[in-house]
Amino acid sequence: MRVLTGQPVPPVEFTPDAVTLLRFGAVTRNAHRIHYDTGFARSEGLDGPVVMAQLHGCLMHRAARSFAGPGGRVLEVGWQNRAPALAGERLVVSGTVGEVDAETGRVTLELVEHGGQGDVVCCRGTAVVLMG
Amino acid sequence: MSAWEVAEERARAAIGRPEHRDLGVVRAEDAAEFARSAGETGPQLVDPGHPDFTVHPMYLVSLLRGAGGAGQDEFRPDGMYRDEVPGTDGLDVRLMAGGQEVRFTGEVRAGDRIRVRRVLTDVERKGSGTPFLLLTVEKTYTAERGTLVRVRERFIVR
Repeated sequence: MRVLTGQPVPPVEFTPDAVTLLRFGAVTRNAHRIHYDTGFARSEGLDGPVVMAQLHGCLMHRAARSFAGPGGRVLEVGWQNRAPALAGERLVVSGTVGEVDAETGRVTLELVEHGGQGDVVCCRGTAVVLMG
Repeated sequence: MSAWEVAEERARAAIGRPEHRDLGVVRAEDAAEFARSAGETGPQLVDPGHPDFTVHPMYLVSLLRGAGGAGQDEFRPDGMYRDEVPGTDGLDVRLMAGGQEVRFTGEVRAGDRIRVRRVLTDVERKGSGTPFLLLTVEKTYTAERGTLVRVRERFIVR
């Protein structure tokens, strides 16, 4: 498949609710109270329990993996947390192709994750993939 | 000196000092539950019995501890591990994740025994109104056959 700079990365979405956060926290051994204790989260200046950084990373990775397609590989993924996302918010990762290295086949994706009503940038990141 | 300043002083003193952590053996069932809780539906990620089952690449870098868990005395009052964010043990500071840069260098397999080397590499003061600390920790995840993942992780301390 030919990939061009500026080509869109099809969006992937996920709505992690309170149950999701509890399960994700349990399996990653993450007991930080900002992810499940509403009173504590508010005491920290948050509006409520927030999505784990690693869960944002998983959605970034999924967007990159989906773009790379069957047989493709994600070599790198990175993201910066810009704004918290609350439990129950719909998160959407989309992006564009930033760079294509014809020699190595490495494709760099510029990714962004929106939350809230689609108006909040929760994360910005990049991924490097080899296309399948 | 405020708790925040103490954290900064301690963190600066810890720059470059490596720590080692044993995450134990990767279990297919845990990796599958991780994938399900991350919203994945592909059978190769969520069904440990699938012939092409693969440990989700983000599983290792999302783990704060291995299957053995931790003792009660290893937690801060906020639920974070005392040793997770350098310099903050025992201090009343607010902790947030800042993001990660993950480079995959090998495939994680069920049965792998994983060890992590962590090194604090940078401490920066950020923000103009309400300042915060930005700590950078570099982590290397290895199994017997070599390095599997390299990570640069950032923590925010307020």
